[in-house]
Amino acid sequence: MTTPTRITPPAPGDAARQEPGRQGPVRRAVGLVLAERVPLLAVLLVAVVGYFYVLGQQGYLVAPYDSDYLFAALDTLVPLCLLAFAELVVIVSGRGGIDLSVGSIVSLSGMAFGFMVGLWHWPVLIALVVTVAVGAVLGAVNGLLVAYLGFPALIATLATYYAFGALALLSHNNAPISTKPIQDVHSLTRTVSLPLGDQVPDVPLQVLTFLIPVAVLMWLLANRTAYGRRLYAIGTNDIAARFANIAVRRTRFLAYVLSGLLSGLAAVVTVAQFASARPDAGSVGNGMALPAITIAVLGGVAIIGGVGRVVGVILAGLLVVWLNAGILLAFEGSDGSQFQLFALGALLVLSALLNAYSLRRGRGAG
Amino acid sequence: MAVLTETLIARRRRPVARAVEGQELALILVLAAMWVLLSLSTDTFLSSDNLSNLLYSVAPVALIGVGMTAVIVTGGIDVSVGSSAAVVMVVVAKAIRDSGLALLPALGLGLVIGLALGLVNGVLVAYGGIHPIIVTFGTLNLYRFLALRLFENKQVTGVPDTFDVLGGGKDGETLGIPNAWLLTMVLAALMWCYMRYWATGRHWYALGNDAAAARLAGIRVKRRVIAAYALTGIFVGLAGCVLIGSGGLVQQNAGSGLELRVIAAVVIGGTSILGGRGSVLGTLLGALLVGTVTSAITLLGWRSELIELFIGVFILIAVGVDLVRERRRRRAR
Repeated sequence: MTTPTRITPPAPGDAARQEPGRQGPVRRAVGLVLAERVPLLAVLLVAVVGYFYVLGQQGYLVAPYDSDYLFAALDTLVPLCLLAFAELVVIVSGRGGIDLSVGSIVSLSGMAFGFMVGLWHWPVLIALVVTVAVGAVLGAVNGLLVAYLGFPALIATLATYYAFGALALLSHNNAPISTKPIQDVHSLTRTVSLPLGDQVPDVPLQVLTFLIPVAVLMWLLANRTAYGRRLYAIGTNDIAARFANIAVRRTRFLAYVLSGLLSGLAAVVTVAQFASARPDAGSVGNGMALPAITIAVLGGVAIIGGVGRVVGVILAGLLVVWLNAGILLAFEGSDGSQFQLFALGALLVLSALLNAYSLRRGRGAG
Repeated sequence: MAVLTETLIARRRRPVARAVEGQELALILVLAAMWVLLSLSTDTFLSSDNLSNLLYSVAPVALIGVGMTAVIVTGGIDVSVGSSAAVVMVVVAKAIRDSGLALLPALGLGLVIGLALGLVNGVLVAYGGIHPIIVTFGTLNLYRFLALRLFENKQVTGVPDTFDVLGGGKDGETLGIPNAWLLTMVLAALMWCYMRYWATGRHWYALGNDAAAARLAGIRVKRRVIAAYALTGIFVGLAGCVLIGSGGLVQQNAGSGLELRVIAAVVIGGTSILGGRGSVLGTLLGALLVGTVTSAITLLGWRSELIELFIGVFILIAVGVDLVRERRRRRAR
């Protein structure tokens, strides 16, 4: 994905035959949007927000779709985006990489957090570090199975999805932990006003404390560290990577550890949001893995590995969250949550179709 | 009639070894051991009521698993089956309740809906150039949306007993065996023969091993891929009808999580998730194993959460054993 458009330089004699408008800025822009995921998502994001803003102005929505509402909707983005990062790392690592177990890791490490803070009264910060470590250990189980023992990722993480989920339910006799200290953790999710004037609406604290630092670290990891480049290398072609003297197994193993670690972090956020450590936190409804994988793929992470950008995942997360927030206002009752499913499915299939189409066309022209 | 092919089958092996592969033999032994242990340790396991219940509850997973085996053998996967089962169930349940559809037309309706949903998956996979897991993750959401719209925010109650013949009650039994399970056995046997001895059945294995080579060998890859997903859709339609037979109620969360149970059964049965290897017999045994564990834990009075733990462990053991055998096979060459 280094070359946005593949326009072959015109041969000397061809210049006269070329239509004047075809190489113009409009065509280049359209080509860019079709072929590259990040500009496409940016355009879609502007379109979605603009559309709902206009609807809100004309009074078609239940409540105003303004900046306050958009910022408040960000708190659903935090766990979703953390898990989408987890899927990014694992899917990029290649060889059918995928992590179905993130939801169960959220449940199980969330319960660990519940025990430490709610029942053993540990300080929150220490409990947070240990929870993340628990997540990393659970991720290491996946990594061991996939990278060292050669299990297909889909199978290994399907098995651990079941196993970790069952352990989470068994850990506290299927009951949530919501003692006073756990309820106090809810303050992690309060909104804060930024010292930028009254124009800027209040921001959920977790965006500042969890999402933005993790996003920056993820971007640095992917683009500015040797490990990040190794990860993309093994995802693109692990045989070539081995000949380049990359420790393929260890690199892939660490991808799953990182996925577990991010899930552990998402567990803390989830517990704080619910003000309760729920043993089924990661598996209610369709579970957490599905939306996370959907956002990662929507963000341009190629399921075959080696391709995927942090910026794309963030934009895809924003698109899904703000689209969902708009849909929720556009319908009364539970209809909105149903149309959210439709929007998620349609976005996923259409964006994948568009990608496949532009890839094929790009190959045909080049 | 399709041409019988023998070229792909190793003829040197003895017939017994040919019919039952190593993994399947191991599964049969494990199942037998569990059944013996359970009948010794509980008085109720071997009772005809319990066995009939067990077989009936396994039938939907096994039915969809038969189709899913074909899909996974082609190197694909279908995670949308739970949602499509929900669509089938709500439409068929409403049709027999509101317009009094008889058994056969209702069954036909279920199969046609399942086929249509499966075809959408197949066409998107074959012609869209999208990875199957992405396609079916997408249609999982779309079909669930469709089902929820059709439910109109309330569960379907008062469904008449049209499907009792396929249901879990006494009307759904022949000689003490649930008709749903008998049907599953017959269809699985047909599918087993088809995938082993018919040319078009063998093509699934060929394109699962190497789609490009299969295309060069003259296999119509796209058509065969669509066929696998469409067939899975038909089996989903049938499974939906079996599930309706379990009582006069279809809930809005019908079929959710079904896809993972089906995939677990297929994988425990020894089908390779990478494609190109696997059998319907294994899937049937895998589904039975999962059903037996569920039944056993209920009967022994253990915590029901242990069921999922055991499913997870069984998947790891089954695939782990397969990995070891595969490695040994490769070393032997």
